[in-house]
Amino acid sequence: MKLSVTKLARQWSRISASLRAAHVLLVFCLLPAFLVAQTSSSDSPIPVLSGSAGYFNFVTAGQNQLNAQINPVLLLPLGDRWLVESRAEFQGVFQRPPDGGPYGGPVSKNLDYAQVDYIANPYLTVTVGRFLTPFGIFNERLYPIWIRSLQQDPLILPLSAESSDGAMLRGGFPVNAKANLTYAVYVSAISTVHNNLQSERNVGGRLGVYLPGSRLEVGVSWQKLLQDGRTNAFGFYSAWQPQRLPLNMHSEYARSNQGSGYWVDGAYRLSQFRQKAVRRIEFAGRAEQFFSGQIGSDEAEALGLPGANTREGEFGLNYYLHDGLKAVSSYGRQFSSNGNFNLWTFGIAYRFMVPLGRAEQ
Amino acid sequence: MRLRIIVASISLALISVLCVAGDSPRSNSATTPVVQNSAQADAMRLEGEKRFHANCGRCHAAPQKFPPRMMATIVRHMRVRATITDEDMRLVLYYLTQ
Repeated sequence: MKLSVTKLARQWSRISASLRAAHVLLVFCLLPAFLVAQTSSSDSPIPVLSGSAGYFNFVTAGQNQLNAQINPVLLLPLGDRWLVESRAEFQGVFQRPPDGGPYGGPVSKNLDYAQVDYIANPYLTVTVGRFLTPFGIFNERLYPIWIRSLQQDPLILPLSAESSDGAMLRGGFPVNAKANLTYAVYVSAISTVHNNLQSERNVGGRLGVYLPGSRLEVGVSWQKLLQDGRTNAFGFYSAWQPQRLPLNMHSEYARSNQGSGYWVDGAYRLSQFRQKAVRRIEFAGRAEQFFSGQIGSDEAEALGLPGANTREGEFGLNYYLHDGLKAVSSYGRQFSSNGNFNLWTFGIAYRFMVPLGRAEQ
Repeated sequence: MRLRIIVASISLALISVLCVAGDSPRSNSATTPVVQNSAQADAMRLEGEKRFHANCGRCHAAPQKFPPRMMATIVRHMRVRATITDEDMRLVLYYLTQ
């Protein structure tokens, strides 16, 4: 009896090994077929490697920090309705030790998102995997260094989870000729398996209304944590681009048990000037405030939040050297009961885009 | 072991779904709209530019021209990221590629 059981186990082991091999073989055989299928039509999308790279000097309270980063984004369209996309972040942060010596520091890597999108119909896209949490607008839309006009993160950014592991439904559609509605709802599972894939168990959503006539978007976000204290977080956001001015305004408010706060920023590009050199200049500014919540200052600082009530103002000057390449600089000052200090930023940000297939027919 | 078999089965099922999706009509994809004449083409370009500034310009400036097949991928990515409506996406793609 024992012998037959052992025999059966061996046979099963062989069968399962064969199945695994067949599975791998099938995937490797079929994947190129899908990629070729993508390149058969003259206007069909091809895989693209995009992303940004940057080098910055952040001088905070007199302490110089060198920051070098690269954030590759892989876009892999499949068929007419699918998109596999991911973004990773590799960042080196180097500074001198307090007692002097050479620059040193950690090089961190992080997976911001790795998701599969299925465009089910014109009003609905289904996303599964690891995705950027749709809370407010900064995390999803303004985070890349080539997009943001000021390189310092807003103080309230850590109030919601930056990435979630789960599923999301999202889309946008015109309500009438004067308004579009956008929405996103998601559910995320807890993940502690790896530092780069951590997420919290939560549900949430965002609802926005965009008025194309006045180029104004306003929206509300909500998130409920389904672990620990089962706390709620909510926020509001707005984005406005006046018709007659090259001005870009954004703002956010967020509140959770960890704290609350807001930021308002604006970027003004001198694009109406005749001289090419002047047209490349952009002025930026941000005002923000953070109010401490129900957690201790140590816990707040571990989350990346200020340890006390904080106000901050920042002014920036950017120069667009080329499409996707800009030199950035800014000065800011932070005020809090923990001390006031200056924030200086100098650097360069670059956006790249490379086809991973035959771009031209 | 069971888990691996389940994963393998799901992968195969996903591939099958991809095959089916690949054969499906293109009604939901970012295909370039059919244009009858040059006046209509100009009108669509203008409308596409307007939609670009309204949707994409809220976060970033217009990029330089890329080949249409790259643009098709990027616009699909931005449709998901910025929750752009289907109609806006088609017009933006037309403006960026024609």
